Amino acid sequence: MMSYLEEHYELIHKTPRLFALHVTREQLLDTLHQITTHTSFDTLSQLTCTDWIEEERFELGYMLTNALRSHNLMLKCSIARDKVTMPSLALLFAQAEVMERELHEMFGIGFEGNETLYDFALEGWCDIPPMRREFDTLAYVNAHYDFREGREDNLDVKEEIKKRKAAAKSAKETPSGA
Amino acid sequence: MDEGFIPYQQSLEDEEQSIKSTQSVIEQAIAWFRAHSMFVLAYGTGCGAIEMPPTFTSRYDIERLGVVGVATPRQADILIVSGYCSPKTLKRVIRSYEQMSEPKYIIGLGSCTINGGMYWDSYNTIKKLDDFLPVDMYVNGCMPRPEALIEGFVKLQEKIRANSSEAGYIQYRTRYAHYRANQERLFGTQVQPRYEENFAGMNL
Ligand code: SF4
Repeated sequence: MMSYLEEHYELIHKTPRLFALHVTREQLLDTLHQITTHTSFDTLSQLTCTDWIEEERFELGYMLTNALRSHNLMLKCSIARDKVTMPSLALLFAQAEVMERELHEMFGIGFEGNETLYDFALEGWCDIPPMRREFDTLAYVNAHYDFREGREDNLDVKEEIKKRKAAAKSAKETPSGA
Repeated sequence: MDEGFIPYQQSLEDEEQSIKSTQSVIEQAIAWFRAHSMFVLAYGTGCGAIEMPPTFTSRYDIERLGVVGVATPRQADILIVSGYCSPKTLKRVIRSYEQMSEPKYIIGLGSCTINGGMYWDSYNTIKKLDDFLPVDMYVNGCMPRPEALIEGFVKLQEKIRANSSEAGYIQYRTRYAHYRANQERLFGTQVQPRYEENFAGMNL
């Protein structure tokens, strides 16, 4: 299984059980097809995305698992942050459909050929996709939600607990000293 | 006696003096029955729901207070909102609440329902449940232990027996415009049908 990969690809050994290889957007479908037919890596177990905002790119990670569930292979694919579409894997792996739907919602990545790219966990979201790093969570929260006002006494909880502990301690000590 | 768990027995002994004054005997009896048969809609929204199974099963056995789980909102009296609510969940919670028949009460379980809790800066959870639904009893803690939930129920029983017009479901009818405005503001166009239509002909 490994020999085929070693022969055809530049395999990076991350740990004894985890390998990685870099592919381009154009190579992705072909490579996946080759790997699933020639090796035992036949299941897509995860689809991840990292936002490298400084380098203006997303890095997608397609995690493949073998039939014994003993080894993982991650295909890494970088795409530009602004031109964000990928070919969908829905025809290769049925489970990819829902994973892509999530990435579409959280990062705004389009997947050509996936028919289910509508609202998922967020209903009626019309801001920047929230997992993109330029999304300002706190500003969004302040604009959309009301906060409950703090307690009137507004005590610092940590300080209060310390004080109470000290008071309890001294109360204990006084009778024994007296 | 504000902190800690109030034993149920003691609450039974305490209660007699406080409530009697304004109610007729029949009212008292009805309120007593009501307070001791609370049907809880089995519906969990956040992680706090994980403390509900022990509350309902043999270890804490809340059934001795007359609290039972039911599977449909139509037969339920109590809705426990057990933790954080995303706007998507909240829509379902509101629909469920509106389907329950009156009198009905809401328990907000956990810090998340009170002020957002550890999700205070999350873009996808509400921070104040009582903006959207009338909450009768909050149980704080993250997550509250079954003892705390039981205490919440005991306090709620007292409230039910007092039979006040402050009860949540009455508030929800009389101040519906307020709740509805908050719901509309959060949900935008994706808002559910108006609850008002359900009690249009009623004499409020
Ligand atoms: S209060 Fe704590 S336990 Fe409850 S839903 Fe929030 S985070 Fe979870």
